[in-house]
Amino acid sequence: MRPAVWLLLTMLMLGSGWGAQAYAADVDSHDQLVDPALQARFEAITKQLRCLVCQNESIADSNAQLAGDLRREVRTQLLAGRTDAQIFDFMTARYGEFVRFNTPLEGKTLAIWGAPFLLLLVGGFVIFRVTRARSRLPLDDEPSPGSPAAGNR
Amino acid sequence: MWKFLLPMGAFLGLAVLFALGLNPNRDIRALPSPLIGKPAPQFTLSVVEDPARSFSNASLKGQVYVLNAFGTWCAPCREEQDTLLEIAKQQVVPIIGLDFNDDRARAQRWLRELGNPYTAAAFDPDEHVAIDWGVYGAPETYLVDTHGVIIFKYISPMTLDVWQREFLPRIAAARKAGA
Repeated sequence: MRPAVWLLLTMLMLGSGWGAQAYAADVDSHDQLVDPALQARFEAITKQLRCLVCQNESIADSNAQLAGDLRREVRTQLLAGRTDAQIFDFMTARYGEFVRFNTPLEGKTLAIWGAPFLLLLVGGFVIFRVTRARSRLPLDDEPSPGSPAAGNR
Repeated sequence: MWKFLLPMGAFLGLAVLFALGLNPNRDIRALPSPLIGKPAPQFTLSVVEDPARSFSNASLKGQVYVLNAFGTWCAPCREEQDTLLEIAKQQVVPIIGLDFNDDRARAQRWLRELGNPYTAAAFDPDEHVAIDWGVYGAPETYLVDTHGVIIFKYISPMTLDVWQREFLPRIAAARKAGA
């Protein structure tokens, strides 16, 4: 397949995930970090962490108490100079992989990441088989040699 | 042959998946805790009754204990309070309360009015300890073994049935393994 087709397919798959993520403003925006770079990282991180009380919201969007406390935790850790990876590790250690909206690509998540491509291959194979089998069938409106005259059904 | 077996296999696979997914007894909001099998986070907090008195779960080293995360803002916690009192009366294990995100005066009144099932009720106003324990709702009840490892977590109000079915056998097993 041509690279352009792959790119399109990948974009379609990722697009469904992007659409689900609401771009709402940080709930407690009055409590901004002074350093704009830190604030940007804060917003990026909190958008990728699931609020476990209201499971389909990120902690950036949620008004739940726990989300607020987790935002505070993220802020404190950013100020303490911890890296994004360290903060994600902190959250996953306590709340499990489920807390992350962006599933990291690693050994145990290979099935989730690979499944769409695997299904695509299987589907493609099935279509290939079906179309090839059909293309071998005689066309209905074409009288096969030796059969009675056409129109005599 | 495979033309028959393949759809059949796919159907059976889906049927099993749906049966598991649609099981009405399964709480879809209950998440497996990554902390199960891990050492329980250590904490030292003041007790609800007295800001000057502190409690640390290090003092329970070598003992099987239960930690119950609650808050006066949590309606289901009120619901389980009678059960906890009943369990406390059995004196099987120490029950540690973790009152998080709460107001001290309100928590004190709660324990006075509803009764206090806790061996110690730790006060965690800014939820630092609750976050360490991976608490995301309330009530949540943890079971810690003699090595200080979290072996079980139950999310939802405690019932005597759950206590007998899920907790007592694990407590007995943990004691046997620890002895």
